[in-house]
This record gives sequence, C-alpha cells and structure tokens, in this order.
Amino acid sequence: MLTTFIVNSPILASIVFTLITIATYQFASACQQKWQYIWLNPMLFTISILVPFLLLIDINYQEYSQTTEILNLLLEPAIVALGLPLYQQFKQIRFYWREMTAILVLGITVVITVSFLLAMWLIKAPEIAIALSLKSVTTPIGITLTEQLFGDSSITAFAILIAGLFGALLGPQWLSFIGINSAKAQGLAIGSASHVIGTAVLVRKSAEHGAYSSVALILSAILTALISPWLIPLLQQLFN
Amino acid sequence: MKNVLYTIFAISICLMLGKLANYLLAALPASLYGMIIYALFLQLNWFSPDKITKTNQWFIKHMGVCLVPAGMGIINHFQLIQQHGIALVVIIFSSTFILLTVIGYLSERYLITPDNIKSKTPTGSR
Repeated sequence: MLTTFIVNSPILASIVFTLITIATYQFASACQQKWQYIWLNPMLFTISILVPFLLLIDINYQEYSQTTEILNLLLEPAIVALGLPLYQQFKQIRFYWREMTAILVLGITVVITVSFLLAMWLIKAPEIAIALSLKSVTTPIGITLTEQLFGDSSITAFAILIAGLFGALLGPQWLSFIGINSAKAQGLAIGSASHVIGTAVLVRKSAEHGAYSSVALILSAILTALISPWLIPLLQQLFN
Repeated sequence: MKNVLYTIFAISICLMLGKLANYLLAALPASLYGMIIYALFLQLNWFSPDKITKTNQWFIKHMGVCLVPAGMGIINHFQLIQQHGIALVVIIFSSTFILLTVIGYLSERYLITPDNIKSKTPTGSR
C-alpha cells in the first residue's frame, strides 16, 4: 500500500530512500562517536539495518539502487575531495617517494596476485576474484576500479570493510609481534592494508603514524589503479 | 557559505579536468585524475587551501554515506555467503596479513631516515 504508493512515483521514492539512507547513516555515525568501537563501523551498521528493512517492505536491490542513484553519483566528487589529504602529505612523500613507490608496488602486486589466485582456487568465480583482489584500497576507489574491471562491487565494498577491520584491530599488535616497530613502517603497512579504518586507529598512536598511514592509503590507491588494469587480465588468462 | 561554493567549484573544475584526462590518456579513472589535479592545484596555490579546508573535511567526514548503495548489493549475495563465507574470510584475512608483513618488513628495512630530515618531518596533520 504505502510502499507501492511510494515506489510508483520515482521522485518520491528517490527522496524517501535517500533520506532513509542518510538518516540511518547519521544515526550509525552518532553511535560510533559515542562508543568509539572500531567494529561499530557506520557503513556496516547502516547496511545491517537497511537490508532487513528492504526485505521487510519487499523492495529489491535494483529498485533501491535506482532510487539512491544520487548518492552513487556523488562518489566521483568525493574521491576528488581526497586530493586535500594528498596535498597535505606532499612534503612527506617528497623525501622518499621512490622507496615508498617501490615498496608499495611490490606489496600491491603480491596482494592482488595472492587474493586473485586464492579466490579462483576456493570460489572459482572471476567477478568475485576481481572484487577480492581490489580490497586493499580505500572504498570509493576500490568500487570504481572493480566496476572498471567488471567485478562485483558490492563484494569489494564488504571485503574492503573486513580487511579494514582486521588490520585496525590486529595489525598493530601483529607488526610489533614480528618486530616492526617504527612509526613509518607501521604507518605504511596499516595504511596500505587497512586504508581509512586502519588510519583512524593509528592516528591515536602518534601523528607520525597517522601521516604515513594516510600517505600509504592514497599512494596505494593510485598505484593499484595503475597496476590492476593490466595485472588482473593477466591473471585471468591463467584460467582460460 | 562563500567558501562552500568555492570548494564545490574547485572540486567540479578538477573533476571536469579529470574526465578530460581520462578521455585523452585512459589508464586511471577520471575521479583519480581529478584527485591528483586537485592536490596539484592546491600545491600551486591556484585554489586556496585555506578556503577549501573546512568544507572539504566535512565532505570527507561524510563521504561514507555515498558508499552505502554500493554495499547494499550484498543483498543479492546471501547464497554466496552461505556457500563460501568461510573461504571469503580466509582469503581476506590471509592476504591482508601478507600485505601488512611485506610492507612492514620492507619499509622497516629500506626507509632509513637521515638525521637531518628526521627533525623536519612534519607532524600534526591528520
């Protein structure tokens, strides 16, 4: 009744579903700010509220994504806005951009290859393998890259989230355990593996940790964008 | 309000140039070209960093909401999660730890700070 009434008018549906999404997200952010738990990620929280809600009112994903298209369109300018942290870290990058690029290129190549091969071996679905191999970059860029390579971007979004949580919750302890203690090394490792979620946790340790983490987060996104369009098709050929 | 419009203008211009770069050069997605161009223009002071910082930080703080629709696609994948949930977690977990170890180890070993630079390392940025 109410649902059909709303869905029958495209503009009303857009307004209603976009507002519901924003409101739920705001609520989730407020909860995280209040309790400060890392695992209380606003995006995860919002999705776990909205999925049962959509199932309950019998709206399928296609209808939902059509009505919230505006949020998806804003992804592009949002990525451009990430130029500000990049600009703020220029000084940092200048000192050792060669070393950092080399290290990150190596790390990214290894992680894409390992995740792609593991996924093809265990799950045997190329669009899932593509999604999983692009999980070590910040979410908006990961989604854009996955769509470019015809992977499944909703899997990417989730994989990025889980990778972020793993790295943020266990990463610092793991790095200390294997004897990696400098702020630079910890920052770069967590920033490239766990992007924004990891960075948010690391800033609490020291400003230097946070600075290197954000450098790694942006630099590894750019490098992944450069590497993945030829590395992934190459890996795909192995399975043809 | 003026700064908000200024920021939107700056970002739009850079996104447009990014689209152009993507059309001419391919390689990177348009939005990433836009991001690099934006950072470059701020560095060159063609756009004033002071004017855009506040609005821009607000954008970054709230950009997560733009990712929700993409993540909602999981609604079509219940079967996949039922079938391969453990495999998915194992793949994500192991590759994340391999990446942490590789990058951590290499940077501990090869990023050596000369003393004269170390004291100048800028701090305080987020």
